Amino acid sequence: MIGQMLDIVTTAAILYAVATGLLLVFGVMKIINFAHGGLMTLGGYAALLTTQAGLNPWLAIPAAALFGGVVGMAIERFVVRPLYNRPLDAILATWGLSIIIGQLITIAFGRGVQFAQSPLNGTLDLWGESYSAYRLALVGIAAVLGIGLTALLQGTRLGLETRAVIMNEDLARGLGINSGLVRFLTFTLGSALAGVAGALITPLSSVDPAMGVPWLVNAFMLVLVSGASLVSLLFACLVLGGAQVLVATHFSPVLGGLTIAVLAAIILRIRPQGFARD
Amino acid sequence: MTEARRLSLILVVALLALAAIFAGPYVLDTYSVNVLTRSLLYAAVALTVDLLWGFLGILTFGQSVFFACGAYAAGLVSTHMDFSTSNAFLALGLGVGGALLVAAIVGWLAFWHGASALYASVITLVLPIVATQLLYSGGTFTGSSSGLSGFMSFDLSMEAWFWLSGSFLVGVTTLAYIFVKSDAGRLLVAVRENEQRCKYLGLDTSRLKILVYLACAAIAAIAGYIYAGYAMVVAPELAGFVFGTELVIWTALGGRGTLLGPVFGALIVDYESAQLAGDYPFVWQLIIGTLFVLVIVAFPRGLLPVVFDVPRKLLGLLRPRPTTPATSVTLSTLDPADAQGVEPGEGAALMVAGVVKRFGSLTVLEGIDFEARAGELVSLVGPNGAGKTTLMRCIADGAERTSGSIHVNGYDIGRKPPEACVALGVGRKFQMANVFETLTVAQCLQIARVRHDRPSVWRRAQDLQLPQAAMHVLATTGLDKQLSTPAHLLSHGMKQALELSMVLALEPRVLLLDEPTAGLTKTERMQIGAILIDLAKKQGLCVLLVEHDLDFVREISSRVIVLHQGRIVLDGSVEEVVASELVKQVYAGSGHAGIDHETAPSPSQEMPA
Repeated sequence: MIGQMLDIVTTAAILYAVATGLLLVFGVMKIINFAHGGLMTLGGYAALLTTQAGLNPWLAIPAAALFGGVVGMAIERFVVRPLYNRPLDAILATWGLSIIIGQLITIAFGRGVQFAQSPLNGTLDLWGESYSAYRLALVGIAAVLGIGLTALLQGTRLGLETRAVIMNEDLARGLGINSGLVRFLTFTLGSALAGVAGALITPLSSVDPAMGVPWLVNAFMLVLVSGASLVSLLFACLVLGGAQVLVATHFSPVLGGLTIAVLAAIILRIRPQGFARD
Repeated sequence: MTEARRLSLILVVALLALAAIFAGPYVLDTYSVNVLTRSLLYAAVALTVDLLWGFLGILTFGQSVFFACGAYAAGLVSTHMDFSTSNAFLALGLGVGGALLVAAIVGWLAFWHGASALYASVITLVLPIVATQLLYSGGTFTGSSSGLSGFMSFDLSMEAWFWLSGSFLVGVTTLAYIFVKSDAGRLLVAVRENEQRCKYLGLDTSRLKILVYLACAAIAAIAGYIYAGYAMVVAPELAGFVFGTELVIWTALGGRGTLLGPVFGALIVDYESAQLAGDYPFVWQLIIGTLFVLVIVAFPRGLLPVVFDVPRKLLGLLRPRPTTPATSVTLSTLDPADAQGVEPGEGAALMVAGVVKRFGSLTVLEGIDFEARAGELVSLVGPNGAGKTTLMRCIADGAERTSGSIHVNGYDIGRKPPEACVALGVGRKFQMANVFETLTVAQCLQIARVRHDRPSVWRRAQDLQLPQAAMHVLATTGLDKQLSTPAHLLSHGMKQALELSMVLALEPRVLLLDEPTAGLTKTERMQIGAILIDLAKKQGLCVLLVEHDLDFVREISSRVIVLHQGRIVLDGSVEEVVASELVKQVYAGSGHAGIDHETAPSPSQEMPA
């Protein structure tokens, strides 16, 4: 029972970490960044390189953020910016980028499955249950990400301008906010977060050129049911991630893998705004 | 070009394509024939992606599932039952039937009234993921991850499979081409361009989308069935997201909305993949990925139009020729005896009772009650935010109001969607001119008549019969001389007139006009005013008009309703309203303190200073 509770909380934390970058980009730019999976893969390889170089595995996180952020800047400038007014085309173009990133990684690192070193090993005893220390640490990391982003959005000038762009871009522009810059920074931050997410999941799964893709659809569905709110994303991760854990343990892992996508599709059919308040 | 000539030209091209397919095995090496058989079938599926995405505007990632449906039906029946001709047909029936069933479920989920384009794409994205997982978990029945192989199939030579696949592709491409160029096919583009206007022209766009989706599913399933027969192996990847997106990539590269572009895109890319993938698998994928991003960003129309436009432009430079106006449509007035508009029902043409509209805690309309008879021209006036446009919306779409009831021609509109309200006799003209920008004037009018004249799925009508009222508007404004002009080239006033005639082509009994004269010149306003009076007096329409220009209102209305803060504050003749102190206060903006909304205005109130 305790074990299952911990499974639910840690799964939700992982999903939250994976989906925040996508949510940020969707909220501000109203486009779905299908390169998110590719950027996660990039983050995973950044983690691999870090640990292979013999550095502290925790350094994988800033390294992945750097990788993701830099590539994200290039993507925003050359691919996403011309497609602001064509959101469906932006999905396709970023999916094409995901293919490009995957193939470049394959050419550079080969197709094989590799493993990165985990920054935390062993288990922790919690309420009489011994549980993976790294998964527990992820809950803390996801909380830091969430609180950090909330602080950035609520407490800074840039955050204020970003929220203004989310609510009404035309008006924000009319008031002298450089919405192009806001979009650029948002996409860079979102891509950096994708890289971080890729690094965070490497100790749980293997590193391979397609590692990010399976996460993409779940993250995408979670973002769609959450609207543009970090709070409703947390709620969506807990509810849908929890459902995934329950279905996977009590019915079948295959159905568990489908739970988030199918439930999200049904939720959106009944309530198009999903878990968002209005 | 006459209709017969146009159609025979298409048939000639189709016969030439068939001849090329027939010659194929004699000029190509065995390996190419083998690979191209698969490519021809993939091309047929890419064609369905183009119909859905290029024409109807539904970006779909899930056509692979229908292909797999046909393929797995063949594989499963041949594996688990004896192979016989009757079982083979059973498999075809199961494959197509299964695909139709899945498509119906997806269509119901994705194309409901009010679903966004993104949501429909999301559903088609979830579909292949669900399908692959189900195939994986099928155990020995579906062969799980390795799929099914070694089952029996028709004993045909490799050439025969090539001819079968090629003829199937030519067949569906020709039919699809004839369809999209027909009057019915133009509806697809109209829905993509402006779905809202389509609904308010009485078209059930959800139904249209589902029908096209079903047809596309069936085509893909037949392609998959042929594929399984020739390849004699089926694997879960056939249903997958990756194949689904590859189809989209081929379509985008070839040129969405061109039919031939996606067909050639699929043929060339899949054939070259097979040639090159052995030696340079990752580099080839990288090239395709890069090309795809480049095309989406820089050539959204795809490569086929680029290939065709360049020589055409060069030819044009060498030999400038006068652009001949496209063969257009001849207009004629519909015999009033043939008019099919709704019969006027019992009692009032429009009856609004206790209508309330709330957005969350904000009440926009409260307790709106009024009736309007046929032949009345009722103006709805009031300051900005009074709820005028909201009231119009509530009458034209049953799902809008929070409570209360609305009867049109004696029929309760209930919670019916806009297209059903149109069927009861409502015609709504929007505040901003709302037409099909890329279609010509004649085509816009044809689409407005679709509700009454079923369009042909293979021909283009040469003449268009419009009700007298619509003809009158066209003649007065001179639009009848611009029938082949694309709507986006029209002036603002002309667009307004076009939309008005489109709405009148519906033969409505209750006409809702939201500021029809906004932004028009004085002359244009007078013309529209005269037309409206004529519509009410001679044609017996009930016209409800939102208007800010009080002079205009005074000239044309038979009755005026004043809305203020979501309530009716006055309902009376033009003279009553003009003389009313209350109206002056409402418009001067100082009346908010002392107005008693429920009772008639008290003449004792002072004029604002």
